[in-house]
Amino acid sequence: MNVMNVLTSRRLWLGVLSIAVCFAAYIWVTNRPDNNPALLPPISDIVASFFTNVESGNLHTALGASLFRIFMGFFIGTTAALVVGCLVGWYKTIEFLVDPLIEALRPIPPLAYIPIIIIWFGIEEFSRVLIISIACFMVCVVNVIAGMKNVPQVYVDAASTMGASRFQVFRTVAVPAATPFIITGYRIALGAAWTTLVASELLAAQNGLGFLLQEGRRYFLTDQVMMVIVIIGACAFLMDRAFRRIQAYLMQWSEARE
Amino acid sequence: MPEIKVDNLTHTFGKGGPDALTVLDNIDLTFESGSFNSIIGTSGCGKSTLLKMMAGLFEPSDGEMTLDGNIIQGTDRRRGMVFQQDAVFPWMTVAKNISYGPRLRGVPKSEQAEIEAKWTEMVGLKGFENRWPRELSGGMRKRVDIGRVYANDPDVLLMDEPFGALDAQTKERMQSDLLETWGQSKKTVVFVTHDIEEAIFLSDKIVVLSSRPGRVHHIEEVNLPRPRTNDMRLTDEFLEIKRRLWAMLDH
Repeated sequence: MNVMNVLTSRRLWLGVLSIAVCFAAYIWVTNRPDNNPALLPPISDIVASFFTNVESGNLHTALGASLFRIFMGFFIGTTAALVVGCLVGWYKTIEFLVDPLIEALRPIPPLAYIPIIIIWFGIEEFSRVLIISIACFMVCVVNVIAGMKNVPQVYVDAASTMGASRFQVFRTVAVPAATPFIITGYRIALGAAWTTLVASELLAAQNGLGFLLQEGRRYFLTDQVMMVIVIIGACAFLMDRAFRRIQAYLMQWSEARE
Repeated sequence: MPEIKVDNLTHTFGKGGPDALTVLDNIDLTFESGSFNSIIGTSGCGKSTLLKMMAGLFEPSDGEMTLDGNIIQGTDRRRGMVFQQDAVFPWMTVAKNISYGPRLRGVPKSEQAEIEAKWTEMVGLKGFENRWPRELSGGMRKRVDIGRVYANDPDVLLMDEPFGALDAQTKERMQSDLLETWGQSKKTVVFVTHDIEEAIFLSDKIVVLSSRPGRVHHIEEVNLPRPRTNDMRLTDEFLEIKRRLWAMLDH
């Protein structure tokens, strides 16, 4: 227990240290006389931009719109990935039928669908959620399939010899045995959701964090751009933390839990 | 009453192909109901293959096996199996592992709890009901495995080198405890091992398989009195059987 505490606190301190070093370097660079604040705004400007955008309500609106898209896209994409991945990974017929399709679509970056989605559905909320869903689905489904294929045979045999039907083995053995892979898939999907969110908002949105970035570029508000980058980083970080909590709870049985 | 018959069984991997390999050749065996039987042989003699076929995990290429006259086909809870590898489900607590089989059949909650209590105690894991398998030693996990199969109440118990990975002392305790559990319900057991002493200590009958392809080389009836105790391992009778079997496996 003591060893664990020392390890966690060392991890925490070193993590804080690396962030602090970057922070200090940034302050040092922006304070140099030859720095152009229009390109590299000082921290005070970034903070000021934050409060301006909070007061005007811009940030709330943008954050709300973006988070809605993230949650919808993530939920739809990963749910579809879970269902499809389980079926493909467990039932050979479905695998032979669907796996080539997934493999063929996998290398296509989700952003490549943006033009066709805009043509079909317009610059609507649905389009953005759809792009995020596709991104989440693609990265997640591969992990779910891998998880289902890596279920140790001895668990399957043990369940079968105790009288489990093929479906019961699927439900009571394959899915739980695959959870480590499935959770990893979900976590990667969350990262993919953020990436695609910003990209899709840069191209086609009237609100959202990506839109704020675009607006900052258009009016040369580098402080606003920097502020949004920090906000995105913080949100993604907090979500990942929350996710780790869920992971730790679901994986308490596992030797490899974090 | 469960009586297992193996009738003229031959198994060839990749039958008909260029790399066809016959692992079991013309096996005829009968295991009496309620008896404890072992199959021994050097590695690669097909003893595990034979056991997995009895479990119904795969089918022989020729010949058949019957349980009470019914042809064995596919897995069935009547034929429970304990595996060489650790098969305890790590995502279930000890108690939930024990009651896994009954839960599959939709046994009511109260009865599940009784089964969990009975079999965790029987295999010596009382107090560990709510532990995760990762918190247990290899020997304790094997106890969970055995308890889980017993709790499912099969007619036949198939055991594939269950104690192979355990240290010598743990192994001897597990053997004694297994005999005690077996003595209370007298299920038909088929136990595969390469450990001659283990086979003698446990069994009524020992089948010696020769290697490549596996054929029935010898059948040894062990008439040591029951209950068996550890000091019997050093009696002349025990050692004489051991010497005889050892010579056979050494050929």
